[in-house]
Amino acid sequence: MDFLTEPLGHAFLRRALFAGVAIAAAAGLLGPFVVQRGLAFLADGLAHATFGGIALGLLLGAGLDFAPLVALPFAVLVALAIGGVRRRSGLGADVATGVFFTVSFALGVIGLGLRPAAAPPVDVESLLFGSLLAVSHEGLFAVLAAALVTLVVLLRLWPQLAYATFDPELAALSGVRVAFVEQVLMALVALVVVAGLRSVGVVLVSAVIILPAATAHLLAERPSWIAALSVGLAVGASVLGLFVSYHLNLAAGATIVVLLGAGFFLALAGSSRRPSS
Amino acid sequence: MKALEVADLVVEIGGQRVLDGVSLDVAVLEFLCLLGPNGGGKTTLLKAVLGLLAPRAGRILVLGEPPEKGRRRVGYLPQRKAFARGFPATAADLIVAARRGAWPLRAREEEREAARRALAGVGGERLLDKSLHALSGGETQRVFLARALVHAPELLLLDEPTAGVDSRGREEFLELLGGIAERGRLAAVLVTHNLAAVRRLADRVVYLEHRVLVEGTASEVLAHADLPRAAGHDHAEPGPLCEED
Repeated sequence: MDFLTEPLGHAFLRRALFAGVAIAAAAGLLGPFVVQRGLAFLADGLAHATFGGIALGLLLGAGLDFAPLVALPFAVLVALAIGGVRRRSGLGADVATGVFFTVSFALGVIGLGLRPAAAPPVDVESLLFGSLLAVSHEGLFAVLAAALVTLVVLLRLWPQLAYATFDPELAALSGVRVAFVEQVLMALVALVVVAGLRSVGVVLVSAVIILPAATAHLLAERPSWIAALSVGLAVGASVLGLFVSYHLNLAAGATIVVLLGAGFFLALAGSSRRPSS
Repeated sequence: MKALEVADLVVEIGGQRVLDGVSLDVAVLEFLCLLGPNGGGKTTLLKAVLGLLAPRAGRILVLGEPPEKGRRRVGYLPQRKAFARGFPATAADLIVAARRGAWPLRAREEEREAARRALAGVGGERLLDKSLHALSGGETQRVFLARALVHAPELLLLDEPTAGVDSRGREEFLELLGGIAERGRLAAVLVTHNLAAVRRLADRVVYLEHRVLVEGTASEVLAHADLPRAAGHDHAEPGPLCEED
């Protein structure tokens, strides 16, 4: 029992636990739509693009706790711009994502370099790889709010999103506002990415969206079971990863992602699912 | 009131004029076959009728209403089944979604019963709980036809329904469409290259290549000597008219 109770005696770990569970639940419910739509690279690209938004926030004088407030609209704009470029140019989503991902990341690097010499130093490593154990009260509140918004909107729009994911044309004929629900999905991906930045970092945040959903796809057949399993796996890995990282003195975000990765490969080895033609 | 009224319709896609002043009508209970070469605008016409493509000019009335309203009373069987193959869906899910206008997290018993009846009407009752990605071409067409018929449409739009179906499945499917036409409770527009389907089903035929080139009964249109040349028919390519898809 000490394995569980001893760490929970620390306030910082309780905050980390709440933040980790909240972001995992939101990412777990969002993930199946991202995976089924083939948007895994978009989630990853958006996470990297958000680095540019964080750098912009820092350049404008916000601290690390408040830079996400600038990064969020930046990420939403990038997500919508990717969709816009894809529709207007006819280029694939991967190409449009690649363009915005690299340019935004490069702008982020330049933005950090342009900060005044007297500005407080920024721990770039914690931005890239996360620092779940360092989540502040304000940071926890922001993560909980983002997760709540994501869960409420997703549960409300689930039937429309699922229909538009299955076949946008048939969904439109049945009265689903396909463009609207797709834009909402993009905005939610941006929200979860920004909310997860402090927990697992720019480089790893997309893994919390993609890995549990991909694993659930290997194990379950019904959309409702896939969603439930994805949430369960994300939350489970988040809790277990936090305790394991505490006791073994490992990076919390990376430990969570490694556990999710292990789950995926175990499911892959045990799955009888064959690719559909 | 007509089932479908199209007047002087112009549709452009990517700056290219695909439909150029198309006018045609479909009477209530009429079965119209739409012929024409690939790229001649047949599918584009159906999508404009469904309100999925905005016309540059012209007017469309579906059962007396604009497409966005009238399409609630239309059944549609698309040519290309573009659904996400990785999405775990059964035939029952697809049909219930069409009735409900949203994807069912869980179908109610009366919804499943309606889906079962729709499938039974097209000879596919046993497909109710089958995964869509596990179905053959012919079975997929039956499920999508059941989907199109589940809300008792007054106008049915069928876009090359026997394409990609083996010859036995094609025969069975034409038999099925013949039965639906004979029951005569709806009007239909069938896009096809299949002459057997035209001879068997059509009350009237329209030959479309960006505009209406020929219109009449099946025998009148099929006897039209200028058609292949008028259609720019290249014998090395799949033709606009053939005995099989």
